[in-house]
Formats: sequence, C-alpha cells, structure tokens
Amino acid sequence: MTMTTTLFYILAGVITASALMVVTLRNLFHCALFLAVTMLGISGVFLYLGSEFLAAVQVLIYVGAVTVLVIFGIMLTRNVMDEKAKAMNTQLLPALAVAIVLGLITFLAVSNSSFQWTDHPTAAMKTASSIPSPAPVEVKANDVYTLGPELISPDNGFAFAFELVSILLLSALVGAIVVARKDPT
Amino acid sequence: MIQVPTVHFLYLSAILFGIGVFGVLARKNAISVLMGIELMLNAVNINYLAFTKYWGNGNYNGTVFVVFIITIAAAEAAVALAIIISIYRQMRNVNVDEVNSLRG
Repeated sequence: MTMTTTLFYILAGVITASALMVVTLRNLFHCALFLAVTMLGISGVFLYLGSEFLAAVQVLIYVGAVTVLVIFGIMLTRNVMDEKAKAMNTQLLPALAVAIVLGLITFLAVSNSSFQWTDHPTAAMKTASSIPSPAPVEVKANDVYTLGPELISPDNGFAFAFELVSILLLSALVGAIVVARKDPT
Repeated sequence: MIQVPTVHFLYLSAILFGIGVFGVLARKNAISVLMGIELMLNAVNINYLAFTKYWGNGNYNGTVFVVFIITIAAAEAAVALAIIISIYRQMRNVNVDEVNSLRG
C-alpha cells in the first residue's frame, strides 16, 4: 500500500466520521462546521480523482459559500434551538432502518458488480455495447482543458444546458430574495 | 499510478449517501435536513468522478454533470434557506415536524 492509497483511506475515514457528526450532533453550528470538514475531504477525493478544477470549485462553493449560507440561516433562526431540545424527530428508528437498509443494498449491489477493476473498461464491456468505444485517451494533467470545451462547445449538446443553468441560477437568486423579503408587497 | 479500486470510491459514496438519507429523515431542524441533502448530492458527485476517471475512456461528460450538480445544489441551498427564514418569520419555528399548516 503506497502513500497515496493510504491517503485516500484516511480521507475516506475523515469524510465518514465528519458526515456522521453532521447528522448526529445537537448543536447546529457544530454541524455546519463539520459539514465544511466533510466538503474539504470530498474535495481531497476530487483531487485524488484528478479533477483539480472541481476540487477548487468544491472548496469555493461548499466550504466558502454554502457553509456560510447555512451558518447565516442558523444564526437568523437562532433562538428556536434551545440546548435541551431533541435533535431528532419521532421517526428516528424508521429513519435509521431505512438508511441502513439502503446503504446495505447499495453496498451489496456495488460489491457484486463488475466495477472491481481500476482500469479502463474491459473487452467484455466493449463488446457488450455495439457502439465502438473510442481509443483510450491519455488522461490530461489538468482537467480544465477538457472541461471547458466539453461545457460550452456547441457541438456536444452541453451549451444549451449551460445557458439553462445560468437562467436557473438567476431565477433562484431572484426567487430567494423575493421569498426572504420582509414585506411581500 | 492509482491503486485504489473503483469499488472503494463507490463504497465511500454509498456510506455518505446513507448518512445523508438518515439526516434527511431523522433530523428535526429544517437546516439539518438541508445539510443531509448536501451530503447526498456530494455522494453522487464522488460516483460521477470515479466513473469518469476509471471508466470514462477519454469521455468527460461526468465532469460536466458534476459542474451542473454543484450549480443546482447551490441554487437549491439559497432557495431553501430563504424558505426556512420565511417560515421562521411566520411561525417562529423551523422544526419540520411542527410546521404542518398545509396538512388537510
């Protein structure tokens, strides 16, 4: 086991532990801070998977923006959370059962699947799909060079989705302001 | 260069998704529910990037999907927090099991 693989398992442990903290701690502010730790760990996994740009985006958006937004929300609704109030609602046991069963099913399905290999698709996978798969391309060192053309070139169909998602962001911005405004006149 | 098998990324993603589902179903405060949703979305992102890296074969569509998921998650968080603040202003309460004025 080399150092980088050890690093992945350490990261996975940190992510799992802090995600458990996010859903179990009583103090919401601590939950938000552990959410930031989880997102930092996930950005480390993104780095491990060779997506430097997405790792940076993850830190900027989740650690920088979403966590701050959540902390603002917690502070604006502060005095509803007294320290003695229960953090969980009445369906704690059914929720635990659903989460464990869902996790187990996914776990078993994944461990019985054919995704054990670390390499590119096998020959069996290639023959299964009648479409001739492209020749293996060398993974570039920087994913920005591949992501930019994928995202906005009009050839491969993502330009329209890109424009749609910018309209969605704009309308979400306006909608959030309208919903949170004090006097709806 | 990388020796971690794909399936371990999928295990991590499954664990994270299960934790997120538990957070959404069991927490009382609406902001905690929102945090559970964020955990689930990030589990999906790990899956997408793992498959792009190991099975993409030079196809980077998974990376584009992750960009869209992150964007939509940010928009969703903003709108959800606006709704939560609005509910708090109306009812002085953000517990999801007590805000039930729409119940018939």
